[in-house]
Amino acid sequence: MTRYQGTRLALTQRQAAAILLLPFLTVYAVFLVYPFFKGVWISLHDWNLMAVAFNPDAKSYVGLSNYERVMWGSNITWGAWASPGYQFFGLLGLGTSVLLYRTGRAGKVTALAIGIASLLLFVLPGFHPGEDGRWYDRRFWPTVGNTILFVGLAVPGVTITAMLLAAALDGETRAKAVLRTLFFLSQVLSVTVVTLIWQIMFSPRQGLIANVTELVGGSPIVWLTAEGFAMASIVIATIWWSLGIAMILFLAGIQDISKDLYEAGALDNATGAKAFWYITLPNLKRTITLVVVLQIILHFQVFGQSHLMTNGGPNDTTQVLVRYIYQTAFRDSELGRASAMAVFLFVIMGGFSILQFVLGREKDQ
Amino acid sequence: MKRMIFGATALTLLATSAVAQDVTLGRFFGDCEDAGTDTSASVGEACIIQSIINAADAELDGISVNTLPTDWGNYYDQIVAAYAGGTPPNVHVMHRHRVPEFANIGALADLTDDLEGAGIDPSDWEPAALEAVTYNDRIVGVPMDLHANLWHVNMDLMEAAGLVEDGAPILPTSPEEMLEHARAVQEATGQDYLAADFAEFPIGVRVALALIWQQGSNIFDGDTATIDTPETRNAISAITQLFDAGLSNPQLNYADSQQAFLNGEAAVLVNGTWVVDFYAAEAARDDEGLNSYHVADFPTLFDEGATWADSHMWAIPSPLQASDPDTYDAALQVLAFINEHNIDWARTGHMAVRTSVLESGDYAALPHRSEYAGTADIARDTPPSRRYGAIQDVLNRELQAIWLTGKSVDAALADAQADVQDLLDR
Repeated sequence: MTRYQGTRLALTQRQAAAILLLPFLTVYAVFLVYPFFKGVWISLHDWNLMAVAFNPDAKSYVGLSNYERVMWGSNITWGAWASPGYQFFGLLGLGTSVLLYRTGRAGKVTALAIGIASLLLFVLPGFHPGEDGRWYDRRFWPTVGNTILFVGLAVPGVTITAMLLAAALDGETRAKAVLRTLFFLSQVLSVTVVTLIWQIMFSPRQGLIANVTELVGGSPIVWLTAEGFAMASIVIATIWWSLGIAMILFLAGIQDISKDLYEAGALDNATGAKAFWYITLPNLKRTITLVVVLQIILHFQVFGQSHLMTNGGPNDTTQVLVRYIYQTAFRDSELGRASAMAVFLFVIMGGFSILQFVLGREKDQ
Repeated sequence: MKRMIFGATALTLLATSAVAQDVTLGRFFGDCEDAGTDTSASVGEACIIQSIINAADAELDGISVNTLPTDWGNYYDQIVAAYAGGTPPNVHVMHRHRVPEFANIGALADLTDDLEGAGIDPSDWEPAALEAVTYNDRIVGVPMDLHANLWHVNMDLMEAAGLVEDGAPILPTSPEEMLEHARAVQEATGQDYLAADFAEFPIGVRVALALIWQQGSNIFDGDTATIDTPETRNAISAITQLFDAGLSNPQLNYADSQQAFLNGEAAVLVNGTWVVDFYAAEAARDDEGLNSYHVADFPTLFDEGATWADSHMWAIPSPLQASDPDTYDAALQVLAFINEHNIDWARTGHMAVRTSVLESGDYAALPHRSEYAGTADIARDTPPSRRYGAIQDVLNRELQAIWLTGKSVDAALADAQADVQDLLDR
């Protein structure tokens, strides 16, 4: 022991932590923090990707004008019933949050989160161009709407399917282990492979689905180019693709539930579906919150499915935010405008991350 | 011993790197495995171009050509990103319509004074080809072809409908006549008259554009969008009348529409020059479907002949010319090699760009060539614009909305007009 005394550099815990964290912090700063702030900075400029590459002075500071050109329009007014569908649900959500808080079924923070989301749903869709007015970018808000619709369909789809699968495949038999692996396998494929598989599946001429439809006497649906089915088809492909992780999370959650509960339940005649409803589901609450929020953040970034399967069509019904950002940046070379949209996407996803943080903390108390 | 092996390896590496000048090449046209180096035997765009590139790699002394992996659909996005990142391929293929976008900021090398030295003779190029690669009176590329929309015809179906005369198909001269022909085909054969990709790539847009040009109109003029016009409405109704009468299916994408034609389910397929050799090969096969194949110029349904056309060309990034003369010279030699093999590329069905090739017996002997000899004279495109890609996307979206989703023509044209104007104003 005494041999080392005096020759070793004495580090406090804090110093050691700093040194150990340094490699991570460096990478984090260079590859995440710096690009993020650079993105925000670019969004304040008129910045042509190609032109600036050849002449760094080809950009000019334009303040918030990119945000205005993307999100605002001329003669925009607000009405309480401009788009009744969304706004009705907004009001409904507001009512629900108050009710939940009053009856004590939701904590203060949860109620507040639902309340704020509902308020936004009521306020934002109320903006619309008045007489002779128009949005500067006619496609931005419909694209945001499509993205929200996609998230709204894919997230419950993934969550419910994954949960049911997890409940069914929880167990020690060999068949269940094989099936678990099989269902997880799709998750490891890349988006190009997934979309290729599903493009073939959906093809009206050679696809599996069309063949089955014809077998039972129906005429095949042209999934990818029919307005009513295009979004459904990319949602189906997405659910198939992103089932795995959610299923594993639910399996972990289910295995955490004490077996005593099921035994006690069985004595009270709660088995099968009843046990799932009264024992599994309530105990999975935290896992469900985690899966839902993770999926929301993940699916807001949908790109490949729309880009490769439908090209955003028909009539922009599957055009999503990241594809629009990509086209604006790389097809149109308008990096400033694209960055403004990307910052908007960041704000949405940041909002959901905060929500997850808040919900997670509340449960701990 | 170890040292000797290392030394020998290092020397070999040094020697090869000193001799072989690496040239990276970016292209679309799709993948071809095992294209080989025989430039006269390959079939289809992907394999013909890759066999020419492989031959250049094998035959050019001290030059090794490395084809970069690129994807058709996202090609220009990749190229733009590569330029922006400072790593564009040493030579890359592009369309004439993209020249303003790239040349406007000085991204393309000015080849004007270096072509002769590399063995490329610009005076052998057709005037239209020279014009395609010229920007502000300077030559910024080496043209490879003129390509255009054609009518690919299934003669068996046309014969059954009584639409063949002297071994050539009878094509309509007005929208009304087209509807009559379409009805005749359906009554005689039960098949569709016309197929095309109206659902994916902008082939349907190019059909509509041709019909707009045939009436002397266009989609924009200088900085003013001129989409919402009676001429555009005429062009659209000429197409939609076939959909409405069930004589054509707008929901087929590129692969499906082509398959429908090859299966004998459509009398006419509107597609480009790039598939002539492929369809001829398919028709020659002894099976069901297309057996008697004929090619025709895009018919004139209105006042004057017009069909959508473009050019493929090869360019070298300007930074290479400025900073790396050795690679630049090697890149020029690759372009000279491709220029030499213009006749092989023309085998796809594309029109050659060199007068000496066009006048050669080999060229005249290419299959079906005489059947679309009039296309070069009616070749058209929209005015040059840095926003070409985005404008095409607007038109594709709005026209597809009309025939795939039932959006009203009024609404679609108003939206297209506003969007294109917005693009022109930016």
